[in-house]
Formats: sequence, C-alpha cells, structure tokens
Amino acid sequence: MIKRYAFVVNKLPYKAETTRLALTHAIASQTAEIHLEDGQGVEPVIAFIGEGVLNCLKNQKALDIYGVTSQEMHLKNALLLDLKVLVCKEDLERFGLSQDDIVMDAEELGAEVTTQVVPFDDIMKEIETADQVLYF
Amino acid sequence: MKLAVFVHEYREPEVLDRLKAEKLGIILVQNGVYHATVKKDGQPSPILSRNAEFYALSEDLATRGFSDDKVDPKVKVLNYDGLVDLIFNDYEKILWL
Repeated sequence: MIKRYAFVVNKLPYKAETTRLALTHAIASQTAEIHLEDGQGVEPVIAFIGEGVLNCLKNQKALDIYGVTSQEMHLKNALLLDLKVLVCKEDLERFGLSQDDIVMDAEELGAEVTTQVVPFDDIMKEIETADQVLYF
Repeated sequence: MKLAVFVHEYREPEVLDRLKAEKLGIILVQNGVYHATVKKDGQPSPILSRNAEFYALSEDLATRGFSDDKVDPKVKVLNYDGLVDLIFNDYEKILWL
C-alpha cells in the first residue's frame, strides 16, 4: 500500500526554516521505505501556493552570500529524486511571474522530472487524495 | 529628526503610519526586499507610495534570486558597506520594525 503525503508550502523563504523543512522532509520521506514491508511505500508531493511560490525563483545566491543552501538547490534535489513538484499557476501569475522565472528542471544534475505549473484546483485534488497533509 | 527604519518582512508594519520624521528612510532587508521587487496583482507594494527614501540590501535581493534590474526605480540598492555608510552619515535614529 502506498501512502501519499502532500507537503504544501505557503510561506516565504529564508526568514524561517519552513520551506527548507518541507523540502528536506519530503525528500527524506522516501528513505522511510527501507523500514516498510514489501508492497508498502511513500509517495510525497510538494506544492507551492500563495507567497510560497517565491521559493521557486531561479538564481538564488544564498550559498554564495550567506553560506546556506538555497531553496533552489533543495528544489533541484527534489526533482533529481523524482518527487512531484507543483507550483500554483494563479499565484505565480498574481506575482507577475512565469515559468521562465522559476526552477522548472534540474537537467544539470541529471533529473528527468520537471516542475509542474498547475491550477490551484489540481493542488486541491492532491490535498484531498493525500493520506497526510503537512502545511508549511 | 532623520529616521531610518528597517522593514524585514513582506507585510507593512502598522507603526509606519504613526512615525513622524523630517526625513524618513525605509531600508528593506531580508524578506522586506519583496516590497522592492514583487508586484502583487500588477501593483507595486503600497509601502513604496509613502513619502520616504527607499533602500534595499543587495545581498538579500541576490539571495532570493533577484537581480538589481528587478528592483523598483524608487529603491536604491545598497550592499552592507553602503548600508553602514548610510546609517552613520544620513540618519540620526534607527528603528527595526
């Protein structure tokens, strides 16, 4: 049986650790499978909504300037590990942003999946169908 | 009084309405830099309509993925050295809101 976990990020980056926690927990949740029985599994999905979409901007220089890993790096790691990453289309547009402004892939790391920009209704469906929702 | 205030969050501190100063400087740092860069629903942040001088910290802009050309023209971009000079040379009192 597969357990589905939805990690929903609604807060801005860096001021607090919330986004970093969401991303690292989503990535770490996959390792839980080593403790599960055959046929069991964990399927995380990460969704960025509201001001949380600003976590996904490209060219974050947090490591160069403050020596901390950027949300961009965590996001690319999530894509590398085939996590489903959703960004709310309406909220992206509300901030005057497009796919060109955000991290859509991690090709340089060898990731095969890409970020999906989707209507909020699609994110709502993920929340409805998840076994657990973690809101950051 | 020449007063500079640090705004570090992407919300407008209510106390801003009550401050009176001969010269007011609003220094956008940390998540406050979103006021200088993001247009919500196509509108610049209301904080930029205030009668004040505006500054944003370049390190906090770059950390969040913003280049200087994304900054509203009303806002002067400063690095840490420039910020220290500003505080010591242009303002008498500093508040962290």
